[in-house]
Amino acid sequence: MRTPLYHEHEKLGARIVDFHGWEMPVWYTGIREEHLAVRNSAGLFDASHMGEIRVSGNESVPFLNRILTRDIPAMPKNRVLYSFFLNEQGGIIDDLTVYCVVPGESYMLCVNASNTENDLRWVVEQNREGALIEDRSAQTALIALQGPDAARIFKDYLDFDPGTLKNYTFTMLATVQYGDIMISKTGYTGAGGVEIFLPSEKAPDMWSSLVERGARPCGLGARDTLRLEMGYPLHGNDIDETTTPLEAGLSFAVDLDKPGFIGSETLRLQSEQGVSRRLRGLVLKERGVPRQGFACMKNGQKVGTVTSGSVSPVLGTGIALAYLDKSVEEKDEVEIVVRDRHLKSTVVRPPFVKGAGK
Amino acid sequence: MEIPEQLYYTEDHEWGELEDGMMKVGITDYAQHELGDIVFVELVEVGTVVAKGDPIGTVESVKAVSEIYAPVDGEVFEVNGALTDTPELVNQDCYGEAWMVVLKVNDPAQTETLMDARAYQTYVEAEAK
Repeated sequence: MRTPLYHEHEKLGARIVDFHGWEMPVWYTGIREEHLAVRNSAGLFDASHMGEIRVSGNESVPFLNRILTRDIPAMPKNRVLYSFFLNEQGGIIDDLTVYCVVPGESYMLCVNASNTENDLRWVVEQNREGALIEDRSAQTALIALQGPDAARIFKDYLDFDPGTLKNYTFTMLATVQYGDIMISKTGYTGAGGVEIFLPSEKAPDMWSSLVERGARPCGLGARDTLRLEMGYPLHGNDIDETTTPLEAGLSFAVDLDKPGFIGSETLRLQSEQGVSRRLRGLVLKERGVPRQGFACMKNGQKVGTVTSGSVSPVLGTGIALAYLDKSVEEKDEVEIVVRDRHLKSTVVRPPFVKGAGK
Repeated sequence: MEIPEQLYYTEDHEWGELEDGMMKVGITDYAQHELGDIVFVELVEVGTVVAKGDPIGTVESVKAVSEIYAPVDGEVFEVNGALTDTPELVNQDCYGEAWMVVLKVNDPAQTETLMDARAYQTYVEAEAK
């Protein structure tokens, strides 16, 4: 599959890779350069492969409130919330953002590309309330403009200052060039900026216009190292159907006081009894590259497994997310087994790098 | 893509420069470009005896791990310690400062099993398709 921006990526000489069936750019010039452009100026990402599901009608609130972990009735217009689809065991089917378009009437869910098909099937299966469900993924493009210069570039181009938006809110913007587009003060980089939802056929023009104005095209490689520096989990790596939000340290996105959402019973039990493992950050004290699947050892015992790892372009050291036994605490020393070597690392609370702040 | 005329090349994208029975070995411009940003280099110890095709080191980029192999039989005479602290040199100067090891070559005639620049050019073009 290809996004509406595929030909833009080709023109820019991107290295294209297969990402869960999508032909996506992994980098244009290099992951490190692109990563640092986002931290220091502005970068542009094609996230059009992600899925958009519209849920509407009078039944949308009771339905969403039952299948999501957040308090949907309390969402004001233009609010964005990070949330999950959980299975009955509290495992994470997917993580997503929920957009309140019209309170009580219309919501948009933005889900992971690799899970869109599965999510849609699940959402339709769960819909005993009779909400209207519409897959808008094909007609919706998503461009993320991220970094300290993102707001200025956007304002120079479309005469709207995203700096006036609070984090985790969005607005509908009427433009001459693109019609109504959705500007969301969200992202997956920790560098600040906006995510722009717009009609697929308009996306190439928006993309090339923002590139002309100085936003650097960035591939999935930089997207991954940026999110890892912030400790943001990636579904399929750090969270999946066998891990719960509490184990992953994501309880902020679960309203445990809310009655009767799918997975809530398991989570309440887990909350009372405590979790047996926690997703934690590790910073290497020696040179090396931690990668998914590497074992973590403490006092000669295996205490966990790396779920994501790389070398932080900002810190220049190896960083990782790993599920570690509950006995392991922050500041403890843990060894990561990198092939035949045991490399010393320190347990930390992510983010590994200071973000742009709230 | 840069493919210097005077070097020998392997199918695994190492280059070798033979001089007075010693072969300086590194990875090619094509290889460093394919790997992307190099973040880690680990080399075998001086004195290691290797046969053609034996691993003499590991190069890691953000996305991939790749072994480096000996182009010919020999003994590791010198390793480039600078790459431990500055692995990014491999992206910047793969035929110069980022040489990886020097091998004391057993039989200089073994270079006949390697490709010259022209053959390597053809090989890479075929692989890139």
